[in-house]
Amino acid sequence: MKVNFFHLMPYPYLPDDFDDVEKYPSPSLTFSNAHFDPAVGVDLYHRYLDELEYAETVGFDGVVVNEHHQSAYGTMPSPNIMAAALARRTSRATIMVLGNAIPLRGNPLRVAEEIAMLDHLTKGRLLSGFVRGIGWEHFGHSINPADSRTRFNEAHDLIKKAWTEPGPFSWYGEHYEYRYVNIWPRPLQQPHPPIAVPGAGSPETMRWVAENHYTYVSVYAPTRVVKGWFDGYRAAAADLGYVPEPEKIGMALPVFVGEDDASAHREARPYVEWLFHRGLRQGLEIVFPPGYMSPAAMKGLLKANMKAFPELSYEELLDLGYVVVGGPEQVRNRLGELRDELGFGQLMTMLTIGAMPAEMVRRNTDIFASEVIPELRKEPLTAAS
Amino acid sequence: MTVTDLDPSTPAVQRHDAGSGTVAYRRVGTGRPVLLLHSAGGANEWGPLQLGLAGVADLIAPDHPGFGLSDDLPELHTVDDLVYHYLDLLDALGLPQVDVVGLSFGGWVAAELAMHSPERVRRLVLGAAVGLRIPEAPIADLFLMTPPQLMRALFHDEALVSAALSAVPTTEGILATYRDLGALARFGWHPFLNDPKLERRLHRITAPTLVLAAGEDRLVPRAHAERYAARIPDAELRDIPDCGHALHGERPAEVTAAIVEHLGGRRSEAELDLETGAET
Repeated sequence: MKVNFFHLMPYPYLPDDFDDVEKYPSPSLTFSNAHFDPAVGVDLYHRYLDELEYAETVGFDGVVVNEHHQSAYGTMPSPNIMAAALARRTSRATIMVLGNAIPLRGNPLRVAEEIAMLDHLTKGRLLSGFVRGIGWEHFGHSINPADSRTRFNEAHDLIKKAWTEPGPFSWYGEHYEYRYVNIWPRPLQQPHPPIAVPGAGSPETMRWVAENHYTYVSVYAPTRVVKGWFDGYRAAAADLGYVPEPEKIGMALPVFVGEDDASAHREARPYVEWLFHRGLRQGLEIVFPPGYMSPAAMKGLLKANMKAFPELSYEELLDLGYVVVGGPEQVRNRLGELRDELGFGQLMTMLTIGAMPAEMVRRNTDIFASEVIPELRKEPLTAAS
Repeated sequence: MTVTDLDPSTPAVQRHDAGSGTVAYRRVGTGRPVLLLHSAGGANEWGPLQLGLAGVADLIAPDHPGFGLSDDLPELHTVDDLVYHYLDLLDALGLPQVDVVGLSFGGWVAAELAMHSPERVRRLVLGAAVGLRIPEAPIADLFLMTPPQLMRALFHDEALVSAALSAVPTTEGILATYRDLGALARFGWHPFLNDPKLERRLHRITAPTLVLAAGEDRLVPRAHAERYAARIPDAELRDIPDCGHALHGERPAEVTAAIVEHLGGRRSEAELDLETGAET
């Protein structure tokens, strides 16, 4: 079992009247950056990087950064810059870029180049994730959501070929055309850095990730739904005669470990609520703009009939498995159960939940590292069905 | 906004082979051919406007690729592609010249068609048309609207908004709307519902053109109708007062009458000569 520390780098200082949803429909896309105070922002970036670096020192296997645009929910428009900042301040942990939103890039070759550079800076400790980008980011970067899927596929194919085939070669695709593809440097890891892709239930994605033997990662869903995704991924792999190692299945999960169960809930509750009721306040219209979802995927979404994040109470978030909160024993047991039930071999813990202050994150990290990680590593892995 | 009629008198859907699939269209009536190019929300619609046009003309009402009952034809990406698509359709139907009525998104397609091949268009109607780039009067971002916000942008009369919102949407209905809007995104996400080259080419249009502006259009500012009317050589601008963007959805009788009058009205001099039996 690999245990990783996943940071979203939120901007916690929302206005006092942020609960007015008419005034603030979302912290993303339309929430004015006049609310971003650079004097505060500079300290936040350094605090958050400190938290990632600290995670390595207390035994996390990897540190995870991601990409979001025009949002207080996450302030890493370029995850590669964060990975670069971490590369020479860490020495052991895998640096997971989860991932570059390649459909949003006008020039995906730049991603191939940056990841190849990062692979050298980290001396081969890099994992390269690829994501679609959320709907609102297609508004923000003027990328047609109806092209999102085909841009993702083509950018992926181009990047992988640029990493693995000797250049120069030419590329004539639907979205991109290059007469000379010949990146310097080539990546250090051969044939290329490992690749991870988050899934949200699309059968096409499951099959595609399985075909390529990539790591499949879940985020923000009820346990029963995640089980369906992971089972679907394993089934798609089985169809292809491939049994994915547990480490090819990852679960991203906000976790808080307190000193005991009661204090943990008392302490964590406002930050869990911040994350789901404020950070993830986003209407369907900005998450799934027209064309972003295939008709089949949209139908599946309607059928699943999941509540919007802000409609989920703290108790529901716990009961359904969106988050894990408790004392050391409760969290240990719960994560062990989840691992055995879902069969994941990578846990991307989100220990900085919403607007959680630095000292609380530090405590969460320390207790998780000392009380939970050893148990997770010790338990034998039982492959799920 | 859509008034698709399941009445058995609704003309049957016909299909036309195009590219990687087929498109659906209805055709009924006698007289001069009229090509009706629907708005983003107006695919597979058969209501007062269609009945009014079919009563005086040979109405051809297709669903755009990706909309309504037409196949996706994913190889088409731009309004320019749609122009060639409709030229192919007119050729296939053996129609050298038609009247073209375009509404909202369909108005943009109609303007591009008339600009590309002015000789194929006898009379033109642009109703609350998008297509122009006017940065100081941008089109509202309908993609970012919730269903209630969209209804309030389409209809001026609050009673029509309430009626539209009171109907509980079916899964099929939601999926159909999502598909139609997805097709609109394909053709109009970026540049956003405009072609930067359109304005400087509008002078090519020769058809007498009626430009309809909805008096209370909360999606497309009046500047767009004014600009169309100013740049098209033989154009008349007409307001439909107390009316939201969904022109014939809100004021079907008035809008239909205005369109029918324009198509049947003012003749070119050559036509007048022919009809009065002027000797040559």
